[in-house]
Amino acid sequence: MIADRDQPAGEYLDLMVTRLWRLALAAAIGFGVVASGYWYAQVLRAPLYRQQSENNRLREAPLKAPRGLIEDRYGRLLVENIPAYNLLFDRSQSRDRTSSLAFASSNLGADPGLLEQRVAAARGQASFVPVLLSENLDLSQVARFEVAALEHPEFQVEVRHRRLYRHGLQTAHLLGYLGEVTASELARSALGAGDLVGKKGVEQTYDEELRGRDGRRVLVVDSRGRTIEEHRRDPARPGERLRLTIDLDLQQEAQLLFGDQVGALVALDPRDGAIRAMVSAPSFDPNLFARRLDPEVWRELASSKFHVLQNRTVQNAFPPGSVFKIVVTAGGLADGTIDPQRRVFCSGSAKFYNQTRRCWKAGGHGWVDLHEAIKYSCDVYFYWKGQEMGIDALARWARRFGFGATTGVDLEGERSGLVPDPEWSRRVRGTPWYPGETLSVAIGQGALLVTPMQVSVAMAAVANGGRLVVPHLVDGGGRSARTIGVDPQILGFLRGALSDVVDGGSGARAAVPGVAVAGKTGTAQVVKQRIRTRSETLPYEQRDHAWFASFAPAEAPELVVVVFVEHGGMGSQAAAPIAKGLYERYFRDRPKRAL
Amino acid sequence: MSVTSGTGPSALFDEARSLRGPRAISWGLLAAALLLSMIGVAVIHSASAELAADYLPRQLVWIGLGLAALGFGAVLDYHYLLRLATPLYVLGLVAVALVLVFGHEAGGARSWIGIAGLGGQPSDLAKLGTAVFLARYFGGVRQEYLGIRHLATGLLVVGAPMALIVVQPDLGGAVMFAPLLATMGLLSGVRLRLIAAAAAIAVVVGLGVWHFGMRDYQQDRILSFAFPELDPLGAGYQIRQSKIAVGSGGLLGKGYLQGTQSQLRFLPARHTDFVFAVLAEEWGFLGVVVVLLLYLLFLGNGVRIAAGARDRPGVLLASGLLAALCAHVLYNTAMVIGLVPVTGIPIPFLSYGGSFALFSFFTAGILLGIDARRYVNRP
Repeated sequence: MIADRDQPAGEYLDLMVTRLWRLALAAAIGFGVVASGYWYAQVLRAPLYRQQSENNRLREAPLKAPRGLIEDRYGRLLVENIPAYNLLFDRSQSRDRTSSLAFASSNLGADPGLLEQRVAAARGQASFVPVLLSENLDLSQVARFEVAALEHPEFQVEVRHRRLYRHGLQTAHLLGYLGEVTASELARSALGAGDLVGKKGVEQTYDEELRGRDGRRVLVVDSRGRTIEEHRRDPARPGERLRLTIDLDLQQEAQLLFGDQVGALVALDPRDGAIRAMVSAPSFDPNLFARRLDPEVWRELASSKFHVLQNRTVQNAFPPGSVFKIVVTAGGLADGTIDPQRRVFCSGSAKFYNQTRRCWKAGGHGWVDLHEAIKYSCDVYFYWKGQEMGIDALARWARRFGFGATTGVDLEGERSGLVPDPEWSRRVRGTPWYPGETLSVAIGQGALLVTPMQVSVAMAAVANGGRLVVPHLVDGGGRSARTIGVDPQILGFLRGALSDVVDGGSGARAAVPGVAVAGKTGTAQVVKQRIRTRSETLPYEQRDHAWFASFAPAEAPELVVVVFVEHGGMGSQAAAPIAKGLYERYFRDRPKRAL
Repeated sequence: MSVTSGTGPSALFDEARSLRGPRAISWGLLAAALLLSMIGVAVIHSASAELAADYLPRQLVWIGLGLAALGFGAVLDYHYLLRLATPLYVLGLVAVALVLVFGHEAGGARSWIGIAGLGGQPSDLAKLGTAVFLARYFGGVRQEYLGIRHLATGLLVVGAPMALIVVQPDLGGAVMFAPLLATMGLLSGVRLRLIAAAAAIAVVVGLGVWHFGMRDYQQDRILSFAFPELDPLGAGYQIRQSKIAVGSGGLLGKGYLQGTQSQLRFLPARHTDFVFAVLAEEWGFLGVVVVLLLYLLFLGNGVRIAAGARDRPGVLLASGLLAALCAHVLYNTAMVIGLVPVTGIPIPFLSYGGSFALFSFFTAGILLGIDARRYVNRP
């Protein structure tokens, strides 16, 4: 070997070559290790990395569906969407949070502490999920952030739609408002956190139709989150445009007629139950809810002693007072308990079960038959008839007219009221039924509780010949009216009597020249009064509730109007004039609408 | 030949070579280098498709320069280089020192010097100078094993440029000097007890420095170098993206120009140090294996050349340079899948341009030259 190589002595070349091959072997092992590393990454763990690489490049961005507009029966807009500018803060883009927030607060004129709080509230979320820092920026604020976009890439101005309720408090309870979805709502729907959903009113009932379906864009982005291209687009399906049965003119008129009184009004078409106007007073401005609500304002609204946020047409139940005499009459006639011709003597009071029961008219009505008893709302007459019918019949007829159950109106939170009977008394109160209570129920007092919506449905049944319509704000959906099972002749008699109530009876203040209005007044006692006192002299909380339930024209009813004035005093004085005002408006506009 | 006492494969290669005839040059080595360069051009084109400039034409220029360097290295008698060892070594040292004074920062390290508009890294020049110098020095030792004095000198020779490069700071560039000393030292012979003693001293000194000579932040920096997962936004980000690129490539790859990791800019330094990740993503495990086999072809031919070199310095020079290239390949490919810490170490013939490309080509040329001169003095 040595000679072969022709090498000088002491070079040890072969030894070196041997060592070289050992090193080469080590290097070969190194290559083996590296190759197995690639085998592991590219073959064994390929699915995992493939998924990560997909996530790397695809980002989803929602396409918000514009919420459906809402219009009245004639197509006049009640709600529209206007652009609102929200300030988003991307924490991952901010070099120095303190200086970023200082910049934002000086631009917004906002308290830096408040902004800190908003950022702190999002601590648990990933840093690239932007924090909503401020809502409803005005255009000059938007401009300030846009101008500084290069120095402050951490801020983004997002354009969203905001609801504008054109008529503010005039349609507040009717339309409702939007609010952030709650945890329980999230659990039972496909909504995302932070989504706005309808709270109350039509916005709530028809939330799904109005909301439409959000779309999404899948974007291919690079490592800096910059969009390279749109990978896929599922367009948003805009919310449906919703046409209500409401007549804006009537709605506004009704709200105005209420003035600063507290109460509720329902006006509906007795033929199909289409609600033309629905007022709960006092009202609130739903546009306050469209922006982030000032906690101060919220406290004021929520704690108001008038319970401003409650929709009194369906959420509150009150004793109906004499309005209930309509039910007693219909039931008594149908059962044959009442002979309309037989007269009863009213001396202003009568003694039952060793207790004196007063008529509202201290001097008494004298001899009255059914017609007159209705016309002048004689209590004594109905005490006698109620006693004769008994509580079971009264309760049965109350339920036939739809009391004690929800009407099925397309509003959330409707209450069913209460139709008391002995069974209920045992079960709920744990006391037996006292015969005297039957007398109270006969004139719509005692434990009997009804909502203004229920009264309007009952009134519609009288007006339409005995069908219990389902009141509604949006047409369609196959609502079937059930019948109350009262002979049309009886209802004809009732309509006549109710016309006379307005024509010179207790409801005279609802009379509209040229139109036959039929109605029934009601005055529900809030506290038991030992002596008849004029309501006006009592403290507000103790004054009577005033009712007026009516329809017109009496011969061919088109409109039912039920007015309830909380602590308003007597129905004839407080409630009837409001109905009159609404009828005047309705019949004045009617020729115009017919064209 | 028949009385050979040569051990193992070297004897086989001697046999094989003699059959081929003396005038044959190592076509395998040349072909591997050229094929790898062509693959590099294709991958760099893909990797830079989304950049402001396509690096393909520029890489072709680099390859042209590299081929010139290769030809020069092949024609040049390496003995001539060995004679110039000292000036070359000093030139390298001066160049590295100059960077400390004049160099501009690139990627956080002041290691790049502008040469005629094309970036150049003096550490590659220093590497060449050190390799030649060390080959001559150890080549002159006519003993079975190196003495302590030789080793100490060798350590000093390699340590000087390493120290200057570490402080730039370019840890990766410095580390790649180690294979020179290790390979040439081991070939020249180091007694086992010396290796053991050196290892023991290294451990003791290392632990001592760690515990008593370093502040917390310095320890942190070393830890995050060794364990990039600790620093998810810095080195950790890079290695994560690189692993995703490689892993998502799968067995067959996503296809040429279809690598989403690189096309969508998730992968940093993808045409230079991480070009192998782009290759792995687009060509899959299959492409990786093909390229690794090409490197083995190159290195195997190189080892054969080194084994057949006619003299001690020739064996050492060829082996040292090969070891440097091999270390680059292994470190880079291991770094891309996170087996070793990320540091700026390019991969020969694939990474875009720079002085390291010239170094690689020149090395290939020297190997070819050594191969051609193995029997020059043969009677």
